Amino acid sequence: MLKDKIIEVKNIEKNCREKKILEIDNFIVLKNKFNFIVGGNGSGKTSLLNILSLVDQDYKGELYYKGEKIDKTNENLELRRKFSVIWQDPYLYRGNVFYNIALPLKLRNFDSKIIQDKVKKIAKKIEIEALLDQSAFTLSSGEKQKVSIARALITEPEILFVDEATTNLDEESIQFFNSHFADLVTEEMTVVMVSHDRRQIKLLADYITLLHKGSVKISRKINDFNFQLFGAGIETPIAELV
Amino acid sequence: MDYYADAIYRALKLIITLDAEVIEVVTTSLKISTSSTLIASIISIPLAILIARNKFKSKKIINIILNTMLSLPTVVVGIFVYSLISRRGILGEFELLFTPIGIIFGQVLLIIPLITALIRNVIFSMDEKLYKTAISMGASRRQKFKLLILEARYGIIGSVIAGFGRVLGEIGVSMMIGGNIKGVTRTITTAMSLETNKGRFAFALALGLILLSLSFIINFVVYFLQEGKNYAKR
Repeated sequence: MLKDKIIEVKNIEKNCREKKILEIDNFIVLKNKFNFIVGGNGSGKTSLLNILSLVDQDYKGELYYKGEKIDKTNENLELRRKFSVIWQDPYLYRGNVFYNIALPLKLRNFDSKIIQDKVKKIAKKIEIEALLDQSAFTLSSGEKQKVSIARALITEPEILFVDEATTNLDEESIQFFNSHFADLVTEEMTVVMVSHDRRQIKLLADYITLLHKGSVKISRKINDFNFQLFGAGIETPIAELV
Repeated sequence: MDYYADAIYRALKLIITLDAEVIEVVTTSLKISTSSTLIASIISIPLAILIARNKFKSKKIINIILNTMLSLPTVVVGIFVYSLISRRGILGEFELLFTPIGIIFGQVLLIIPLITALIRNVIFSMDEKLYKTAISMGASRRQKFKLLILEARYGIIGSVIAGFGRVLGEIGVSMMIGGNIKGVTRTITTAMSLETNKGRFAFALALGLILLSLSFIINFVVYFLQEGKNYAKR
């Protein structure tokens, strides 16, 4: 199993205004799997995701990518460009939907003709073709999230990070997300997902990690996960899964 | 009443017939103001981003100084620059006194605090997610900077235009540093002051009307860049 890990962090410590918000001895992300991170509010899920996706490099500890230690003082641009993140509350840039989806490719200096083709292809998959010329500021939150999913997937990332992508969405959008997500992610893609949605966990999860007050409480394959460990509040709904 | 009606009539005539002297003064003014605004912007934009985006110890005091300098009287800048570039000053050897470059130098100093403070506020009010998203999309440091400028472009342009309005309408620096030399350093404001004293009221009024129109256009543009009703749609 060890050779299957694509990211490993060791002895991570993250402080926010002198308050320790994350303390993790060991955490791994399995290659080509759906890795779920669950936990209550303030358990450090998003902080961990920021560190794993190299968005946040201001912490103590080590991060290994395919066994190689990552230098935190470096910009790590090449590695970052293999990753994509879908945020809970997506930020779209001033401009139309096309511009927003094309942006990651533009940053990678892709040819404009290739960009055109790729944007159209991904927009068709996510059913937002009709929105391409529309200004990003006129979209509903469901549409915004779809655009941000397209923007994250257009680079065909090696690892896709998803931070509670459906928390702010209505039922219809969640269903769309759940039913399309597995198709959008290719076999070679690794997914790290922070989620509360038990249907998502049931549908997608291969490996699950429970965080509690900034540290890993439990981390194992979905089959032998003891859902009672979620604690009061989350315990009952999660228990229905098994 | 005849006095006013006559003055306005003659002023409008000067403008409509494109009087050579009026045109000369207006072009000198625009040339000098445009140059100083451009130079001040090149310095202020990175400076504002630096102040808005970085945490450092002296940040608080820098912000207070910056806010104080917003209301800097033009004559104070005038005296200061005069002391630098007059013959006995540190920069005396460059002989900048009574030259357009001297005025530009003074005006740049005058509006750097204004443009910097305005852009700082624009950058400060940007959504924090903008930076996180840029990193997660694979932006390099330079690309992140570019994205930020693009995202704040309307606010930045508005701030720069506000700076332009300030230098176009100032008289202290132009008078003290420029010396009001005809065809060289005579700007709209210094010419107005001089011509009024000389009793050429219509001529001064014509320049006043032009200055007022320019101010109106500037404010019109700034309003639509910052608060226009279609703001959300861009």
